[in-house]
Amino acid sequence: MEQELKAHLKKLMASGDVAGIIALKSERGMAKPYLFADASELECLCLTPKYPMASVARLLLDEDGAARFAIVCRGCDERALRELAKRHQVDLDRLVIVGIPCDEEMARECACPEPFPSVVAVGTKLEQWEAEDIGAAYRAMELDEKLAFWKHQLEKCNKCYGCRNACPMCFCKDCELENALWVKHGRLPPEFPIYHMIRAFHLAGKCIACGECQRACPSDIPLMVLNTLLREDMEELFGYVSGTGADAENPLYTKEEMQ
Amino acid sequence: MKYDNILTTCPFCGCGCKYYIQVVDGVAKSVLPCKEDPISEGHLCIKGWNAIDFVYSKERLTTPLIKENGAFREATWDEAYGLIASKFKEIKARDGAKAFGFFSSAKTTNEENYLMQKLARGVIVTNNVDHCARLCHASTVAGLAASFGSGAMTNSIPEVEDVDCFLITGSNTTEQHPLIGSRIYKAKEKGAKVILVDPRSIQLASIADIHLRQKPGTDVAWLNGLMHVIIKEGIADEEFIEQRTENYGEFKAEVMKYTPERVEEITGIPKADLIAAARMFANAEAASIIYSMGITQHTTGVDNVKSCANLAMLTGNLGKPSTGVNPLRGQNNVQGACDLGALPNVFPGYQAVTVPENREKFEKAWNMAEHIPESIGLTVVEMLNAAHDGALKCLYIMGENPMISDPDITHVREALDALEFLVVQDLFITETAEHADVILPGTSFLEKDGTFTGTDRRVQRIRKAIEPLGNARPDWEILCDVAKHLGSDQFVYASPKEIQDEVASLTPLYGGVTYERLDKEGYLQWPCPNAEHPGTVFLHNGKFSRGLGHFFPVSYKPPAEEPDKDYPLILTTGRILFHFHTGTMTRCSPKLNKEVPTGYVEIHPSDAEAMGIADGDLVQVSTRRGTIQIPAYVTRKVPEKTVFIPFHFKECAANMLTNPALDPIAKIPEFKVCACKVEALGESS
Ligand code: SF4
Ligand code: SF4
Ligand code: SF4
Repeated sequence: MEQELKAHLKKLMASGDVAGIIALKSERGMAKPYLFADASELECLCLTPKYPMASVARLLLDEDGAARFAIVCRGCDERALRELAKRHQVDLDRLVIVGIPCDEEMARECACPEPFPSVVAVGTKLEQWEAEDIGAAYRAMELDEKLAFWKHQLEKCNKCYGCRNACPMCFCKDCELENALWVKHGRLPPEFPIYHMIRAFHLAGKCIACGECQRACPSDIPLMVLNTLLREDMEELFGYVSGTGADAENPLYTKEEMQ
Repeated sequence: MKYDNILTTCPFCGCGCKYYIQVVDGVAKSVLPCKEDPISEGHLCIKGWNAIDFVYSKERLTTPLIKENGAFREATWDEAYGLIASKFKEIKARDGAKAFGFFSSAKTTNEENYLMQKLARGVIVTNNVDHCARLCHASTVAGLAASFGSGAMTNSIPEVEDVDCFLITGSNTTEQHPLIGSRIYKAKEKGAKVILVDPRSIQLASIADIHLRQKPGTDVAWLNGLMHVIIKEGIADEEFIEQRTENYGEFKAEVMKYTPERVEEITGIPKADLIAAARMFANAEAASIIYSMGITQHTTGVDNVKSCANLAMLTGNLGKPSTGVNPLRGQNNVQGACDLGALPNVFPGYQAVTVPENREKFEKAWNMAEHIPESIGLTVVEMLNAAHDGALKCLYIMGENPMISDPDITHVREALDALEFLVVQDLFITETAEHADVILPGTSFLEKDGTFTGTDRRVQRIRKAIEPLGNARPDWEILCDVAKHLGSDQFVYASPKEIQDEVASLTPLYGGVTYERLDKEGYLQWPCPNAEHPGTVFLHNGKFSRGLGHFFPVSYKPPAEEPDKDYPLILTTGRILFHFHTGTMTRCSPKLNKEVPTGYVEIHPSDAEAMGIADGDLVQVSTRRGTIQIPAYVTRKVPEKTVFIPFHFKECAANMLTNPALDPIAKIPEFKVCACKVEALGESS
């Protein structure tokens, strides 16, 4: 797939349609997000591990108010870009999405709801994919077990804010997690359970299930359980699945959020 | 537009997380965790995530300053160098090299530490060079070198995940070394046992199987007590003792004096808990001791360290994965600063200055006409004392802030003011720099190349991501320029890579460390003596660095100052997650400062009630050294009769209070225990 993708991108670059391509570059044996501006550099393009590419796109679109970029996107990246676009955080007209599918191993690792973008430019998407139900074990617990579970898990929190920093959908300039009205400053672990609850609820209708938050968590807190439950609620209560369907309106999206 | 990610190493703690700096058109935008870095694995603590804030702080010093008539004025580099050269020459001609002192820096690179000690030894010709390791792990360097022959963390950070039983003492790991703390959680989920020995109920207490809350300053007693139980119950590792160690008999005679009853009396640790902990530790497959400043910062620091070494030998927990004696080094490059000889007694790679061949080797390599003194130089605290007494006239401080970090700040201020000439090289006008005659603007980790050595002996690159701000210059360039202005022709390097090549040629420990290899392999753990050597994951495999491990009999000595009727409480000090050392870097980071904007004193509810103090009240804390006013934080984190103050905050500086009493061998001050009193002021803060 890598060779095919490189060829595809070389053509795209030659077309002169984009100022650069946002993708991963391999340097000294490690992958990093990069803006490819020269076809010769594409030899160093690589595909793994996953990085939050939608956040990189948002940064670069902000930095250059006019340029058009191509971006190599997995399913989650595209979902993030769509949801960001609905909130006017990225301008999809300035992005050329080059979709790639995830293989079964990656999809399983992420328990991804849809491990491929809407249009697959290179590679073949998984047929018959059903994600593992991350919430299953939790739902089977008694109420007091649920409380004990979160107490134990959240006590490990290092208050790094990594779950927020890594999340492509956490774009607020002033984050309520840092507001002493809700969460006491300077406490470790942060106050139970409000710190993690605020983040989970603020992501309702936004979370596109990329798993970056959990992967960023030094304490291995199963944040995807929380996110999965909220995504389910969103679907049940409002019939909304975040990140899918470019036209579907987000029920929790209000004009105020545009500020 | 140019967008790139530059892989570099964190400038805060000794974990040594590598991460990317996202750079757009030459401006650093944010930190991006590197998922393939073996230490961070894509995780960071709050300091790492916010590591670029201080770099662009408005407070950054970007031009040299010279003090004239009591006030600083901006100066050119040539003026600053000219003044330094003329003053240095004048003082050297008049008072000799012994009138000079050099504070190197655990925040700067290995290359810069090498150059600093080369400047001291090779140009001024004095061994008076030291750095703040004196204040944190001098006792580790001395103690473990005596017991094992090598004064560093024996095992590696990734191994922590597979430990079966931890003894964590004097390390608030989740706050001070978050990426090691996170691995303790991982090990616990895999079934590890956790024995925590700490007076305070720190975050790890919630997962501890046994939490022993000793009276501060009684560590030798409970360590001897643990070993007493292990020997008595016949669960020591006889084979290991027999084959790998010496002096067991004498040691055994000493620890057998420490019955659990006696230990309970000294330490307050219940007898039954001590016995349970001893069994848990000795019976584990792979048991690991993790310690930090709670062990080292005592007048018995070296004794404490040797006792930890004894315990690991007694149970055979050395020379294999996920075991060992693991001192966690606080600063990003405090390990490297020690390794590179920024110490008064050793050249790079711990080659003693007292050995004539070593001196000859360096004199020859540096093409010296004069001879390096055969006696060891002064330590940080001794240099300040000598300045205070007028014997030391000239001090060059790079990236250190003794006005906050050293014990008894009033004394430090008097010492700095007594100097004839003080040069400070820093990123900011620190409390120390205010006393300088010349301030040289150095650069942060983002603006230069070099290497740091993390706590697990891991040498890693930092890479220049942006140009130096304003007129600031990389610290290695500044040191070379100063040496050149002093007439030396031995400081000609095109880049830090060439400095490392020189280090490798003179330092067997780093002999195989080259930039090419670091680029290719990501890191190298010392000892790495030659180009073929893969580096060393854990030390003492099959054989100790010194041959046999040495059991030192250690007897308990009380701390230098104990509570009495005038000063009835114990004061202990330390760091917190959100800040770093003297706060120079973290307090100008908005996100970090917001979390904890000022200091506080932790005080137990029953003590607070007795004194009429409510949470948040401003209180007065005094010791025989000084008095500060500080908000009270009423919490059960501290035991009764003990208070805790984080030392980062100049407006309520814990080190106004601390006791400068020193460990006789390592000369480390006793930051962790002194007697204090707390008084209500009847105001809320
Ligand atoms: S999975 Fe986590 S990181 Fe990804 S969108 Fe949801 S909350 Fe954000
Ligand atoms: S990433 Fe994990 S440790 Fe960090 S704030 Fe989030 S939940 Fe806490
Ligand atoms: S754990 Fe230490 S090295 Fe890692 S990000 Fe935090 S301060 Fe930096």
